[in-house]
Amino acid sequence: MNSGILRYSTYSIIIGLIIAILSIGCSQRGKSLGNVYRYPMVTRVKGFDPALGDDIYSHISIKQVYETLLQYHHLKRPYELVPLLAESMPTISEDGLTYTFTLKKGVYFQDDPCFKGEKREFVAEDLIYSIKRVADIKTKSTGWWIFDGRIRGLDEFRKESQESETTDYTRTVEGLQAPDKYTFVLTLTQPCSQMLYFFTMSYTSVVPKEAVDHYGEEFLNHPVGTGPYKLSEWRKGLRLVFTKNPEYRKEHYPSEGSEEDKEAGLLDDAGKELPFIDTLIFNVYVESQPQWLNFMQGNIEVTGIPKDNYNQAINPDKSLKNELADKEINLNINPSLDVTYTFFNMEDKTLGSNVHLRRAFCYAWDIDKNIKLMFNDRAIPAHSPVPPGLVGYDPDFVNPYQKFDPALAKKELEKAGFPGGKRLPTFEYLSNDNTTARQWSEKFVKEMGDVGIKITVTSVTWPEFLNRIKNKKFQIAGMAWSADYPDPENFMQLLYGPNEAPGTNNANYKNATYDKLYEELLKTTDDEQKSLIIKKMKDIFAEDCPWIPGVHRLAFGLSYSWVKNRKYNDISPGNFKYLRIDIDKRNELLKGK
Amino acid sequence: MLSYIIRRIIQAIPTLFGVTLVTFIVFNVVGGDPVYQMVGKGAGQKEIDALRRELGLDRPLYQQYFFYLKQITTFDFGRSYATKQKISQMIKEGMGPSLSLAVPAFFFGSILGIIISLLVALYRGKLFDRLTVVLSVAGMSVSVLAYIIAGQYYLAYMSGLFPISGWEPGLRGVPFLVLPGLIWVIVSLGSDVRFFRTVMLDEINQDYVRTAYAKGLGKYRVLFRHVLKNAMIPIITRLVIAIPFLYTGSLLLENFFSIPGLGSMSINAINSSDFPVIKAITFIGALLYVGGNIVTDICYALADPRVRLK
Repeated sequence: MNSGILRYSTYSIIIGLIIAILSIGCSQRGKSLGNVYRYPMVTRVKGFDPALGDDIYSHISIKQVYETLLQYHHLKRPYELVPLLAESMPTISEDGLTYTFTLKKGVYFQDDPCFKGEKREFVAEDLIYSIKRVADIKTKSTGWWIFDGRIRGLDEFRKESQESETTDYTRTVEGLQAPDKYTFVLTLTQPCSQMLYFFTMSYTSVVPKEAVDHYGEEFLNHPVGTGPYKLSEWRKGLRLVFTKNPEYRKEHYPSEGSEEDKEAGLLDDAGKELPFIDTLIFNVYVESQPQWLNFMQGNIEVTGIPKDNYNQAINPDKSLKNELADKEINLNINPSLDVTYTFFNMEDKTLGSNVHLRRAFCYAWDIDKNIKLMFNDRAIPAHSPVPPGLVGYDPDFVNPYQKFDPALAKKELEKAGFPGGKRLPTFEYLSNDNTTARQWSEKFVKEMGDVGIKITVTSVTWPEFLNRIKNKKFQIAGMAWSADYPDPENFMQLLYGPNEAPGTNNANYKNATYDKLYEELLKTTDDEQKSLIIKKMKDIFAEDCPWIPGVHRLAFGLSYSWVKNRKYNDISPGNFKYLRIDIDKRNELLKGK
Repeated sequence: MLSYIIRRIIQAIPTLFGVTLVTFIVFNVVGGDPVYQMVGKGAGQKEIDALRRELGLDRPLYQQYFFYLKQITTFDFGRSYATKQKISQMIKEGMGPSLSLAVPAFFFGSILGIIISLLVALYRGKLFDRLTVVLSVAGMSVSVLAYIIAGQYYLAYMSGLFPISGWEPGLRGVPFLVLPGLIWVIVSLGSDVRFFRTVMLDEINQDYVRTAYAKGLGKYRVLFRHVLKNAMIPIITRLVIAIPFLYTGSLLLENFFSIPGLGSMSINAINSSDFPVIKAITFIGALLYVGGNIVTDICYALADPRVRLK
């Protein structure tokens, strides 16, 4: 080999590379898009089995294909239930035990090989099958808790499914009846004012038995629903593509909304046929940087604001920066229906028996600093478990112990019998082993240490964290809870005695008066009455301090102005059938990029 | 040679057995109980017990271990705790995207590394050599994350030369792989060049090189014909050992560039404590590593006639 050949080869490689790079760059520009909506997801979806749809992204994906009996009104707030597969809202018997639903006629499942070329209409038996499937222990559904002990005969069905080799779906369940094809009668064991909310959740989506039988274990990869979209491509870990279901029945955009909605143009499409968008593309971005950059380049329509990009996008007064507003980006701020909290194991001898000690913890915790450091100011202090937006939330309610006051903390410590922290044992703070949790625990150790409370941190994996909490093998830990449905009961149950670990009452808090009030709350349907009961429960909660209340988070979201009809829905997000894209505006704006 | 290969395969069995034992202890004994994570937030003790029974986690540990051994010998790793997908299918689907990034980047990077180190050896002590060493050390000192963040921001977002992220099968995927591939090459080049340079310099000072020059051979002939061939043993060791790991791609690159490969799958599994997936990837990695070692030994014999496999 001589030096000439080597030199020419090197030059050729370099020139080739430059040409290739430039041609790639050019090919990316100037693309015009059709009626497509591009949505970011931060994790892989579990699949399309509604019985397993317990995470937000699975729920969003499932609801494009499957439907439930009821749904939340797209515009009305507080959240209001409206029919979806039901023809109208059900009639409820006077004793609150029997719900009679009339179903829509002429609703068909999407064409699928499992139907062997036949058109398949949705009937009441499909609903009964879908509920039985959640109850079947072999389905391993994460949604059994919504029916547990609530529907007549369903617990027995579940028990039998556990004992037998194959589950007998022909077995009659007293509480699930279909007197005719379009009538579904649900009978409860006791009144449950939350029951209707359950019929908006993924778990109660209607699935056809033929599809479950046909696809077996692979059913989760073959959704066959009645919904507005069909799954047309699923590249796991990369993207999901949905196309408009050509057989979708005539559903219309809502005509009712508030004056605010009208002003925001959210009623411009009132009465028009749904869905508006032909194709939905869900792109998976595990890291926040590619999601952010793709949004800024106009490759996706919406995004949350990653912690690292917050200052780039938002002014100190929480308004949008001009650079973004100039790009026709809108900022949406909405309160999330959630609560974060640090909780004591009330079965711990020292912590559980000494309310002054727990109050000392509460006073020592600097909540404002926490909101600034950990949430970029995107949260408000929680004074009770109930978040804003729900019945029972009172902005004037002040929890006397939700206050950073080291002097009071020291006084409470003294009242607790440990002046200056003397003779006080070192407590263990159980933490998850991720970066945020570690930063959180460091702050906790520091602030408690400042008043004389010594803390040691144990960081463990998430399964081990849950294992220790659910087996009551911890002293102090932190968690968050997001609403499953817009009812304060969903938050107050976090402290109901019988829900102690492994249930949702992680603090293992027990107070007979609180429990009695909770049971009363369960049966109450009147909002005013509910508020009164919750007020009493909140007072008990505040005095007993089983938690150091954390925050209610604020959801900051960005979207381009070419996305129309977008209304934040924290309980059941992913209402893409209502969205419309101003295609010309998008193409025009993207051309300028 | 055949008997040597068979002997090495038999010798590898205890190693793999050890790997299975360690992964089983790490994930099944001390890794925490996955049931609470899987059962959903509203479940009671009955549901927890039922799921534990369904997953076989209520059985004695030795039975769980035998079940795990059965899974790996049949390559049927069960289903993922997090995504509920069949793990063997997940690995099959993830391998393509990982290899589409890793193989070209690895080979291109290695060849470039060898060429640069040969040239460096040729011009040793001169400005080109010193500059290359400085750049290699600097390249090695910068975290891959910095290259990714800067590359994605400046080359993809600001200049629009590349797509920010994404992946497509076949030739349509090339535009998406250029930037992550480039970063892979840059990141690996620093350490490769430094290592290969040392190997080349060791060889270039040998007597046979002086003899070759004395016989009147040209410098490129000496370099490519004689030096490179004799330097191949350590180079082969480094390269072949790295090949088994290509199947997992690059954890960070795949995650940042939304390449749906095994690297991104592994991170997802680690983040969600998806133990069956982590166990499967670890075992396959160990299997390929052991296989890679055997292949390396065979390559020694092919590259250097002095090496005999006994």
